[in-house]
Amino acid sequence: MADKYLVEPDIGFIKEISEYGGGSLKKCFQCATCSVACPISPDTKPFPRKEMIAASWGLKDKLVGNGDIWLCHNCGDCSTLCPRGAKPGDVLAAIRMYAISYYAGFPALGKIVNDPKKLPVLAAIPAVLFLVIGMIFKLFGVHWLNFSPQRVFEENDKIGHIAHHMFFSTWLVDLIFISASIFTVVVFALGLKRFLADIHENALREGKTNKQKIEFKEFFQAFIKTIPTILKHSKFSECGENTERATPHMMVLFGFIGLAFVTGFFFLVLYGIGIHGPYDALIWSPIKLIANVSGIALIIGSLLMLKSRKAKQEDQVSTYKDWFLIGLVCALGVTGMLTELTRLADAAFLTYLIYYIHLMCVFILFISLPFSKLAHLVYRTTAMAYNEYAGRK
Amino acid sequence: MDKKYGVYICTGCGIGDALDIKSLSDVAEEEGFSCQSHPFLCGKEGVELLKNDIAEKGTNTLVIAACSRRVNYDAFHFDGCIVDRVNIREGVVWSHPRAEFPALTEEEKEEGDKFDRVQMMAEDYLRMGMARVGKVTLPEPYLLENFTRKILVLGGGVTGMSAAMDASKAGYDVTIVEKQAHLGGNVANWRQQLPISAPYENLIPTVVADKIAAVEADDRITVKLETEVARIAGEPGNFTVTMKTPGEKIEFDVPFPLPDDMKVDENGKDLDVDAQHAKYLEYNEGRQDILQLDPTGEKFGAVILAAGWRPYQPEEGEYDYLGLGQVPDVVTNYEFEQIAAKGKIIRPSDGKEAKSVVFIQSPGKGDDSDFAYTGAVTSLVALKQAKYVCDDYDDGKAYVFYQHMRTPGLSENFYKSIQQTLGIFLTKGEVTGVSKNGSKLAIEASDTLLGENIQVNADMVVLATGMVPVTVDSPVINLAYRQGPGFRDNDLFDGYADSNFICFPYETQRTGVYAAGAIRRSMTIEESVEDATGAALKAIQCIESANRGVSVHPRSGDMTFPDFFFQRCTQCKRCTEECPFGALDDDDKGTPKLNPTRCRRCGTCMGACPERIIGFADYNIDSIGSMVKAVQVPSEDDFDDPPFRILGLVCENDALPALDIVGLNNLSYSADVRLIPVRCLGSVNVIWIKDALAQGMDGVFLLGCKHGDDYQCHFVKGSELADIRMKKIGEALSSLALEEERVAQFEVAIDDYDKLPKIINDFVEMVEDLGPNPFKGF
Repeated sequence: MADKYLVEPDIGFIKEISEYGGGSLKKCFQCATCSVACPISPDTKPFPRKEMIAASWGLKDKLVGNGDIWLCHNCGDCSTLCPRGAKPGDVLAAIRMYAISYYAGFPALGKIVNDPKKLPVLAAIPAVLFLVIGMIFKLFGVHWLNFSPQRVFEENDKIGHIAHHMFFSTWLVDLIFISASIFTVVVFALGLKRFLADIHENALREGKTNKQKIEFKEFFQAFIKTIPTILKHSKFSECGENTERATPHMMVLFGFIGLAFVTGFFFLVLYGIGIHGPYDALIWSPIKLIANVSGIALIIGSLLMLKSRKAKQEDQVSTYKDWFLIGLVCALGVTGMLTELTRLADAAFLTYLIYYIHLMCVFILFISLPFSKLAHLVYRTTAMAYNEYAGRK
Repeated sequence: MDKKYGVYICTGCGIGDALDIKSLSDVAEEEGFSCQSHPFLCGKEGVELLKNDIAEKGTNTLVIAACSRRVNYDAFHFDGCIVDRVNIREGVVWSHPRAEFPALTEEEKEEGDKFDRVQMMAEDYLRMGMARVGKVTLPEPYLLENFTRKILVLGGGVTGMSAAMDASKAGYDVTIVEKQAHLGGNVANWRQQLPISAPYENLIPTVVADKIAAVEADDRITVKLETEVARIAGEPGNFTVTMKTPGEKIEFDVPFPLPDDMKVDENGKDLDVDAQHAKYLEYNEGRQDILQLDPTGEKFGAVILAAGWRPYQPEEGEYDYLGLGQVPDVVTNYEFEQIAAKGKIIRPSDGKEAKSVVFIQSPGKGDDSDFAYTGAVTSLVALKQAKYVCDDYDDGKAYVFYQHMRTPGLSENFYKSIQQTLGIFLTKGEVTGVSKNGSKLAIEASDTLLGENIQVNADMVVLATGMVPVTVDSPVINLAYRQGPGFRDNDLFDGYADSNFICFPYETQRTGVYAAGAIRRSMTIEESVEDATGAALKAIQCIESANRGVSVHPRSGDMTFPDFFFQRCTQCKRCTEECPFGALDDDDKGTPKLNPTRCRRCGTCMGACPERIIGFADYNIDSIGSMVKAVQVPSEDDFDDPPFRILGLVCENDALPALDIVGLNNLSYSADVRLIPVRCLGSVNVIWIKDALAQGMDGVFLLGCKHGDDYQCHFVKGSELADIRMKKIGEALSSLALEEERVAQFEVAIDDYDKLPKIINDFVEMVEDLGPNPFKGF
């Protein structure tokens, strides 16, 4: 018999998927209603029916490196129509979460990110880091951390105003954040390398592609082609059950893009021209407008997500991974806006405190990125690009 | 009984509008019958009219021309009176609407050469009804001289014990006969059983211990262990049962009929009757004849057959490719249960823990059929046994490969709970082979839900082989009947003791013997317990019918029974041999001996008898023959272009109701047919057909149930026998220069009503094409 697949169920894997919110996976009786219902599943070798049996048999090797789990946008049509309550949408979400941990490596850090009991530890890391590094520098006479920050006076300015860099110096912040970003990028790079190899191998084994090797030039072109789809959320909108989720998701995505752009812009302004914030003179300029609108989008988007998850608690499994991410995004937006508002209101203590919390949030965002659900940004994008490249059949 | 006749015509339900009631009444009066019509005969006033006539005028033989006899049965039932229901509503008016069959205009009536087909039809039916009542009498019940209400249960397993307790609760004394030295049957050696109550999710200890305790505590139940029946003689209400120790040889062991190959001499020629009888005696040397009653035998009224099943024994090499018999760790589900009952699941080969077990539900080999004698129960057993593996070992893994996963009813809950067990893995798929792989077994499967050819390595393999009813191996019931000790043609049912699984559960081909449990089909314990109740109720129904001299089933309550005019019997044995229920025995001369409580009143004997000496009080050769003769067959002397006359003999069970539905739905068929209901096509005696053709009718058709392997005949063999007889009559017809096609038989089911008009009309058209019967007018 040609190409026999040796079945070796991993019961531990089934348990982990259950903990990630896929507890209904064993209810599946393989009717394939899900695959029929799914608006974005391909016509050949459609998901999620095959993923469901692989999950209930504990066949980790068929799932973790399976690009199809990333093509799912978790709209929930399948879960709504499932006659057995097996919730394929949630099972796929749980498998994706497992895959994120799997490719991220650093299991200890992954555990801190994804275990609700470890949340205080996670929060403590940046809180302590900023203070400790700041103090260490202070020992060497570098005052990047000032507990009684001075006001900044510009020309003809008698009263002066608050500037956050007088509290945590931009040098300190950027030193830490750039390190964190490098860590994140490295983790992602290592994960992505394995991920891409795995999904290609899986596609070859399951006969989903004709491409024997990944040609990076073509792959990059496919990636470029995928970007409009992602930005427009066109796959997302094909999903039936919760199209209303597309808008908040888009708000959050564009919020992040906007903020990243503004951050980059001022990074250049600071290190290129050497002008320090808070750039109050530019308050009505387009660039500040983008920043503020993005921040507001982030807050509203995440609040809407929170609301819809709350409303759907019966139909959709929400676990810590989901609440963590929404909570973080929301906290990020709120602390960011409050930092600005309290600064403008000249409430010195409050604004420094909130700024401190905001920095913690940003740090957590950076280091948890490869381990949290937010990693879908990278893996789904890659899987969609691969799908475009491989011409899934 | 002196008959005083009365004809009553109902003019309601459209009858009065469609028919000329005056002419119809004249038909009755021409025959000397008093005739009255009423617009609403089944109403209070109409029934009063009939009752008055019965009370005051002494009318006791009523011909009621109104609706079908299948409706208003109670309204038109009068104690001590013969009633014939002439169906002019469904059978004439409703099925022959005036829009299609217009009445004659006044001018046409004057002309004299025109005729009204529908009016003719109604008039013929009235004549037929009047002819019939002249030839029938009121039935009198046959009462047994000796009668007992005791019930015999064969088999002391769950089914037998449950049936015994149910019968006991209803007030009947019961004796359980069990071959083995203990009660409990197969279930006695099981670890656990499937759930029998809500929430139907978890395995439970077997019910056997409780059942045994309850049976032993029941004063009405006698248990005979290490006993089997040597023979059951007699008839329901009065069976004489001889019991013996299993294996023992006694004079009352039941004799077997002579096998066919012993009925011929060396040259293959049939032996004559005497030679056959001599051979028969030789063949059954040392055994008493069936008619010899055991003076020490115990009396019983009815028998519940709950002898159960045995595990399937694969033939030599049958499942070699699955490793059975090749590798010790490949076992059947029966063997696996015994391992499980002893303690933790261990491998037979080396006694090591069996932590991964593959359950195979279908033998594969290119088709998707399951093992023989399986069903929902074997699916459920695989799930149960898979659970054992996970119960015994925390890291246990059980794989179930199935082609069909059948978990009917609430056992779906059990399936769901099994699905939730982490270590149980289910897939549809074809297992292609099992082989040794180091210390493990390698199981290969294709076409699985996993989408590719797969291999599983496991410690053990379990094959879901079936539950073979013990009736496959021996007759079990050992009836001292001339037709033989067991059920006839039981291979039609793969050896299961059943006469018609869907329509008549519990019924067997022998009245008074009711099957329950796994001898009927593979069943779970829960189903068997329920089945036992059904069979117990049937046994009680049988006893309480036999004591009143009425039929049990399917003509429940029929008080008639076949009556023989023995002076003219030629001892041809056809009745004995053709009776579908073995109701007739014969003595060594071949004279039939009727056992009325075995009889189901189908009349197959009446149809079989070449001497026409068998009949029933209200249904006999003469009564139907007279109806045939009462049909007026117009010839060219009457009209220039006389209408054809075609006789239809219609089975009461499916075809007649279907015809009523035709009327109810205002479908129409030819008005040239005349239909006569018969109890079963098996009761149709060819003389009626000859009579019909001899008096000039142009064709005869029989409407009855499907026959063959998937027969639907309510009397098992009736329509099949009719078919054989019709083929023979065809030869006789051609010798008379009549076309064989003039006689035909059609199969209809009750839901085929929409096809009936076409069947009838096509036959009429075909006969019209043949031309009129050349004997017409003679």
